[in-house]
Amino acid sequence: MVFSPELKKGSLEMLILALVEVRPRHGYEIGKLIEERSGGRLSFTLPTLYPTLLRLESRGWLKGRWVEKAGERERCFYRLTPRGRRVLADQRATWAGYIDAVNAVLDSSRA
Amino acid sequence: MRDWRAFVRERLPATGLTPEREARVVRELASQLEDFYREAVARGASDEDADRHAVAQIADWRTMASDVRRADPAHARPRVDRLVDAVEARPMARATGGLMLAHLVRDGRYALRQLVRAPGFSAVAVITIALGIAATTAIFSVVNGVLLRPLPYADPGALVRVHEVIPHYGRFSVAPANFLDWRQQNTVFETTGAYSSDSVTMTFEDGPEREQGAAVSWDLFRTLRATPAFGTAFTADQDKPGASPTIVLSHALWRDRFDGDRAIVGRVIDVNGAPTTVIGVMPPDFYFPSRAVKYWRPLAISPANATRGGHFLAVIGRLRDGVSVDQAAVAMRGLAERLARQYPNDSEGESAEVVRLQDQIVGAVRPALLTLVAAVGFLVLIACANVANLLLVRGSTRDKEIAIRTALGAGRRRLVTQMMAESVVLAVGGGVLGVALGYLAIPAIQQLGANSIPRVADVTLDVRVLVVAAAASILTGLLFGLAPAWQAARAGVSAALKDSSRGSSTSGGRWVRSTLLVVEVALSIVLLTGAVLLMRSFDRLTRVNPGFSTDGVLAFQLSLPKKSYADDARIIGFFNDLVPRLEAQPGVASAGLVQTLPLRGDYVLTFEVRGRAPVSPSQQPSAAYRVVSAHYFQSLAVPLVKGRVFTPQDQPKSGLVAVVDQAFAQKHFPGADAIGQGIRIGNGVEGYYEVIGVVGDVRYDGLDATPSPTMYVPFTQDPFSTMWVVMRTSGQTATLAAPARQVVRGLDPTLPIYSLNPLATIASESIASQRFSMLLLALFAGTALFLSAVGLYGVVAYSVTQRTREIGLRVAIGAEPGDVLRLVVGGGLKLALAGVVIGLGGALALSTFVKSLLFDVVPSDPTSYAVTAGVLLVVAAIACYIPARRATRVDPMVALQAE
Repeated sequence: MVFSPELKKGSLEMLILALVEVRPRHGYEIGKLIEERSGGRLSFTLPTLYPTLLRLESRGWLKGRWVEKAGERERCFYRLTPRGRRVLADQRATWAGYIDAVNAVLDSSRA
Repeated sequence: MRDWRAFVRERLPATGLTPEREARVVRELASQLEDFYREAVARGASDEDADRHAVAQIADWRTMASDVRRADPAHARPRVDRLVDAVEARPMARATGGLMLAHLVRDGRYALRQLVRAPGFSAVAVITIALGIAATTAIFSVVNGVLLRPLPYADPGALVRVHEVIPHYGRFSVAPANFLDWRQQNTVFETTGAYSSDSVTMTFEDGPEREQGAAVSWDLFRTLRATPAFGTAFTADQDKPGASPTIVLSHALWRDRFDGDRAIVGRVIDVNGAPTTVIGVMPPDFYFPSRAVKYWRPLAISPANATRGGHFLAVIGRLRDGVSVDQAAVAMRGLAERLARQYPNDSEGESAEVVRLQDQIVGAVRPALLTLVAAVGFLVLIACANVANLLLVRGSTRDKEIAIRTALGAGRRRLVTQMMAESVVLAVGGGVLGVALGYLAIPAIQQLGANSIPRVADVTLDVRVLVVAAAASILTGLLFGLAPAWQAARAGVSAALKDSSRGSSTSGGRWVRSTLLVVEVALSIVLLTGAVLLMRSFDRLTRVNPGFSTDGVLAFQLSLPKKSYADDARIIGFFNDLVPRLEAQPGVASAGLVQTLPLRGDYVLTFEVRGRAPVSPSQQPSAAYRVVSAHYFQSLAVPLVKGRVFTPQDQPKSGLVAVVDQAFAQKHFPGADAIGQGIRIGNGVEGYYEVIGVVGDVRYDGLDATPSPTMYVPFTQDPFSTMWVVMRTSGQTATLAAPARQVVRGLDPTLPIYSLNPLATIASESIASQRFSMLLLALFAGTALFLSAVGLYGVVAYSVTQRTREIGLRVAIGAEPGDVLRLVVGGGLKLALAGVVIGLGGALALSTFVKSLLFDVVPSDPTSYAVTAGVLLVVAAIACYIPARRATRVDPMVALQAE
């Protein structure tokens, strides 16, 4: 299944926020996780992913920090800020509401 | 594996983010590309394939760069910085000076930010500069409008004024016969023209009105190359005796009095009771010789009986192509001297002089205006010194910033440019404010100079003034920027970082600040001295005893038209009726008549003394001549010294009698009694006037002129149709105006009263030009004093801050508040005193330049210098005392712990 770039881009911010909600992650990891968890249906190239990360950080929703983990190279790990957490909650609610509404229309037209 | 960071740095175009941010972007992109590479290797790809895989992740680096910048606006660099980078990257733009421009814009922006961060400092600096630039703008616009702007006539450089030169008198008005000969015989002028002042009574629907104008030869307009807005100028035929009367109106008179009716041309109006045809109206911007002139009518000199003895014409000429003023002067001198030899009876010894018309009009005020220009120059220099000191003090608190910037790689040149940019930004701010202030001051200056500065109405803020003000601002900025730039350049990183808390109170910096202060005080002293000299001179002028009293005297003019007052009997009859009626009004102590009011021009005639050997006409003595009524002396409180003054009984038929003043008696009858002497006056009356009295001297020619010998005769024995009336009241002069009008109307309803003014006002106007320069110079000197005080205060206050520890130490080991006060005030006063001494020397050296503006005060007047030095030292002491008092409150514990 191929999604249009617009559809994908619109949800990328929310996906990133959701992925770093549990724990801080680095950029490459975020890209890989989206691909894995969507079963390969969603994937973003570096030129799309990285400016988005930067934008989220610039808005103060994410905070990046260079961390050297045992046995690994130093990488920049992004974690969710309290503001980012609120935004994510909002976006989740909006998304769920939207999906509900869209499904309701689709279901009723099939019946 | 390749060096991914180097790889990214090489590919990624400038992002436009701050350098730190861009470094982070590079680092992270490199890190992620390395992740792609490593994972590919981990999946078993060859090193080559893995590398290709990673490199392929970013295809379009340019888009990447711009996406990154857009994603992170918070870290975007200012547009100007990006501009500089962009220019730096283009060799062509670098070569063509684009880089300099780009740097300039960036430095300006940075400077603006720095200045906004220190609003107090910036405000003081900007206001200081604004004061200097405002004075520059205002004075230069006056100089521009009065001295520099060409006269408003076509090719004005070719217009000259030709004077007669008469033995013993110098420049003089021209006799009509001489003008006619000059017009015909000269070889240097394309055309010539003559005019004399004139005034007429015009009768309008709402009554008679006196109007100022000029009687002109028909070729005057042609010489000026001026043509009426509509209608025509005079023809030669209209400028002949007996021609039917014609008149050309000024635009203002036409607009105000004839409602701008274009049908005016050809209409007949009532001028002095005679029907006169309006033939033209001049354009709105035309005036000649002054704006007060409302009409022109023909001189109508009769070639048959033009005289060489009566001098009343002003003559102008337009130089032929290729003829210089000097050549014209030589030619006209030759012509006039030839005529003098030809007509020795009237013109013996006479010559001629040629002056540029513009110099003629404004020459008299040039010294005063140039003095003011110099004063403004000084004021600007003082403002510069002040701001330079402010910048130095501020600069020394910025050593840390400068050190850090040096450490980050800013070269000496960059630092200097940056400091200069701040100065220029201040200068531009001050300049804009100053021009605005100066513009607002122009109407006030015009009002102040209305009666004394010719062409002052032409003063406006034009492009030339703006250019000068802009140039002055920028130069000022560069000048006061030099000191801090130099300071920044020599500030070494190590020195500043080592001792950053105390700023760089290096001996070098202190020396510069002290020198600037001394210079500032010295300049102020020069300005103040000039102002004090002028003020003392003006004070002397107002205390001059004019020989008459202006208190409670109202003056006005009356002019009896020839038509209804055709002969002497009627004129005498009218004035004989008028005076007693005026004196009968309540509040009027006495009323008198005179043909020429004191301080309002002269009237000179030749005379012979009875019993002395006759001399040729040109060798005859001459004296000021006043035709007066019996109560003239009483009305002006001119004291009788000897004998008697005129009485109403001195009438045409009684014996000719004259009164002379003391100067006349001493000059012409030294050691003898003037009373009983006979003088034959060149007034057209046959016979000797017998001197019956001697009165006090009156300064007719102006308060600053020595009284010239004067002879008086009763108006009944030489009647004039235009007379001044002077009325003395014990009360307010203003209350007399209405009764005076009523009395005149009762006698002749067609007669307008004009030039009605308290004599005190006329006396005050006579010294308007002195007041003009005195007030402006005093204003500038006051500003200079204020600026010096601010400068002194700033430097002393700063030194107190710098020396807090030292003062604390002194207090700790037992110094009393008085000792501290002495220390601080003494330090400041030492500088002020140095400035005062240098300034007094400079003032003495420059004082000769104001000599022509001084009355009864020598340029080296010791009182003026003493007063100036005293005032400055007192102000300096106050300026030092304020910060010194703060120093006495220094708590030694706090001061010593501060380190």
